[in-house]
Amino acid sequence: MRERFFGKLMRGTLPLLVWAAHFAGSYVLVAAQCSPAGFAPGNPHRLPLALMTLVALAVCAALAWRARRTFGGDERTALLDWAAALTALLAFAGIAWTSVPLWFVDSCA
Amino acid sequence: MTDHAIEDRLPSSLPRPEGELERLQKPWQRPTGWRFLKRVDNTSIGLLYIGTALLFFLLAGILGLMMRTQLAVPDNDLMSASVYNQVFTMHGTVMMFLFAIPIVEAIAVYLLPNMLGARDLPFPRLSAYAYWAYAIGGLAFFCTLFFGLSPDGGWFMYPPLTGKQYSPGLNADFWLLGIGFIEISAIAGAIELIVGILFTRAPGMTLSRMPVYAWAMLVVAVMIVFAFPAIIAGTALLEMERAFDWPFFIGERGGDPILWQHLFWFFGHPEVYIIFLPAAGMVSTMIPTIAGTPLVGRKAIIVALVIVCFFSFALWAHHMFTAGLGVMTMSFVSAASMAVAVPTGIQVFAWIATLWRGKVRMTGPALFLGGFMFIFVLGGLTGVMVALLPFDWQAHDTYFIVAHFHYVLVGGMVFPVFAAMYYWLPLLKGQRLSERVAKWVFWLMFGGFNIAFFPMHITGLLGMPRRVYTYPGEMGWNGLNMVSTVGAFVLAAGVLLFLVDVVRTLRRPEQPVGNPWNASTLEWLPTEAYNARSIPEVRSADPLWDQPNLTEQVEAGQHYLPGTESGQRETLVTSPVAATPRHLLVLPADSWLPFVAAAGTAGFFLLLTVKMHVVAWACGITAIAATVAWLWAADRPPPISHAKVSDTLVLPVGARGRASHSWWATIIMLVVDATVFASFVFAYIHISMRLEVCPPPAASLPALRWPLIAGALLAAGSACMLWAVRSLGTRRLPWLALAATGCTVAGFLVDLHGYQLAGLDPQAQAWSATIGALLSYQGLHAVVLTLAGIYLAARAWSGRLSPSSRATLDNTALLWHYTTLQGIVLSLAVHGVPLLME
Repeated sequence: MRERFFGKLMRGTLPLLVWAAHFAGSYVLVAAQCSPAGFAPGNPHRLPLALMTLVALAVCAALAWRARRTFGGDERTALLDWAAALTALLAFAGIAWTSVPLWFVDSCA
Repeated sequence: MTDHAIEDRLPSSLPRPEGELERLQKPWQRPTGWRFLKRVDNTSIGLLYIGTALLFFLLAGILGLMMRTQLAVPDNDLMSASVYNQVFTMHGTVMMFLFAIPIVEAIAVYLLPNMLGARDLPFPRLSAYAYWAYAIGGLAFFCTLFFGLSPDGGWFMYPPLTGKQYSPGLNADFWLLGIGFIEISAIAGAIELIVGILFTRAPGMTLSRMPVYAWAMLVVAVMIVFAFPAIIAGTALLEMERAFDWPFFIGERGGDPILWQHLFWFFGHPEVYIIFLPAAGMVSTMIPTIAGTPLVGRKAIIVALVIVCFFSFALWAHHMFTAGLGVMTMSFVSAASMAVAVPTGIQVFAWIATLWRGKVRMTGPALFLGGFMFIFVLGGLTGVMVALLPFDWQAHDTYFIVAHFHYVLVGGMVFPVFAAMYYWLPLLKGQRLSERVAKWVFWLMFGGFNIAFFPMHITGLLGMPRRVYTYPGEMGWNGLNMVSTVGAFVLAAGVLLFLVDVVRTLRRPEQPVGNPWNASTLEWLPTEAYNARSIPEVRSADPLWDQPNLTEQVEAGQHYLPGTESGQRETLVTSPVAATPRHLLVLPADSWLPFVAAAGTAGFFLLLTVKMHVVAWACGITAIAATVAWLWAADRPPPISHAKVSDTLVLPVGARGRASHSWWATIIMLVVDATVFASFVFAYIHISMRLEVCPPPAASLPALRWPLIAGALLAAGSACMLWAVRSLGTRRLPWLALAATGCTVAGFLVDLHGYQLAGLDPQAQAWSATIGALLSYQGLHAVVLTLAGIYLAARAWSGRLSPSSRATLDNTALLWHYTTLQGIVLSLAVHGVPLLME
């Protein structure tokens, strides 16, 4: 559309899509590894999970860096800039927090 | 030109032409008497919707009181276990499916067009259909209680308890068909709201100026689109298991009861936010008015709503912490459950800051908003407690959970809805509810609620399980249960007093509505059946505060569309981001057809459940006939090609392709469709992952040539349809539509034949059953496309397809290409998963 509706939608929600992809990827990978026919029954490999987490955190950090000017903004800051900044920040925190179990859980059961 | 002069230049000048107002009033006249069943306008349907949802709130509340009476004393024999099971199942089901979801949609149907400056929602007949389907289906569903046929497996209907073996009667079938059907009505409402919010806002109401309530409803409608398909797929699977013995959830035949839990809660947890976010949106609208100051952190609140939308989809499995999932997967979900508190907290702190900055008048809405914050925050805190795995393992299925979710749902939704009723009731007849009675109502409800539900935390920690119909006296729960029962009746007294006040207020003579709270949003403009006289040009997020003479200007017809250009019902369509006027949309008039179609659909599902096949099919055929008649009359060339909507702005009437509202609605419907399909694919993958060997012993996949031929035929069908779209206006169009139908049906039959040759037996084990479910869903699409292809050909032959009335063709083509894609993905998924597992 002339207003670049989908482009703006993507800019405002991209960090959340990264968060969603990371969450879904982590869940599915662990569930697959812990299934009866999984490729590592009894003990999921944490390395791919950790790598996935680092990539997701890096993307969110980059998006937050790109939107850094918004953090010092005032009431005139556009809603979309706000969305890009705040979602990047919360997606980063969400990914970091969701990945905490990787540090201390090492088995399926 | 100075800024002041620009601001003073209004879209339409005075004096307005003589007779303009009368011409506007004429198409919006509402039928009276028993013909009110024909009404489709948002005000009539919205009020009926709200009234019906409140009726279900009362009915489910009475069931709650019956439960509390039964549990007041130990070893009570007021109800048998069987009756109690039906009562608690219906209490939860009716509160969630027939009250909570419908009322948030109902309030939106009533309020949003006015708040957005539209004359109506873009699909009024769809709103009417969705309402009548819900009302008729819901009331019939509730009446099963009087015949001992109500579902009794709990509101989340876990198999194996709800499978044929342990629930052989019709009770579970009523839940599955009744609720599945009502969910479809909720999805129809969501599509209506998304298109309405994105495309019918007043000119100048950019997304950043849009009321927070509209933002909340937009987010919620999107959530419905992605969450509800999971329960539709789940109910379809459970009903297929019960009807055809396809063992999706039977462990010893390769099925898995956990599959139901995944599908149910993938809907069920977002649903909590689907209920809460509209309430949060209403709170964000009421608080600035009550405090007399703009909302603090308005942008942060909007972004927080979007974040909650995403995060809430990762929480489904926290209802399954005792179901035996892996520790690591559960830990991910546990962390996400705590993370969702952050965006929710942003909203709560912004509300507190707004109240802090302003000057609060302790009116009825203010009291209920205060009650909301207190109760909801407590529910949120216990939510963080049960998000912790070790705590949840202790508290699961105890009265602690009952207390937690009542704090969340009653605090997060019922109290804001009561605040909303106090706040917006003056829109009806200009009369406010009594402030003196409001204090009584509030303290009875607030006090009663806390007396009823706070002790349940302790009862739960003392070990009382939920859903027990009685308990022995020596358990130490007697006093707490008695207190809870007393509290429940005090709460009910508050609700009763509220109803008395509503009836008393509505019996008073009508007076001008005005703006009793000095609110900033557009629903407080003077309205008639056509809503505001002219559609305002919006220049701020708080238009009634920042545009001082807006009310008088709108009423005088100085803004957009002060009359009717086509002589029919109309509204402005604006662009989704900047709300720039795009075209004029001619809306359909009142009609019997949505009511007849809804009654027929409800009759079909309910009568089929009780095996009254002849009458059921008569109802089904009536519904199809009414729907075809409804569609046949739609998609006509617009009565005029262009319309002058202000002194200087001339817009086209109607639109096609991506500019058409029906194109967007079709796209959203296809997203729903794809999500249902994805849920079936998930079921297939989930069941496959439980296998040691895939395909399981004695089962096999068809040779690759069959899906390849099927895929080629489906692609040929899509190619024919593409050609048909390009052949608009020629004689070959109907033949191409029929050729496309032939190819698609042949593609499906070839696929099916391949599976028959491979010996697919869905009754043998769950893996084959999930493939049967996928094929059934693709078969359903083949049937729908057959009807659509014939319908398209009939429209073409009767001259009802033309460049200015081509929505039927464009939208059918979308459905066609989607079905082709779905067929190809089906084959890839079925053949690909075993390869991955090798």
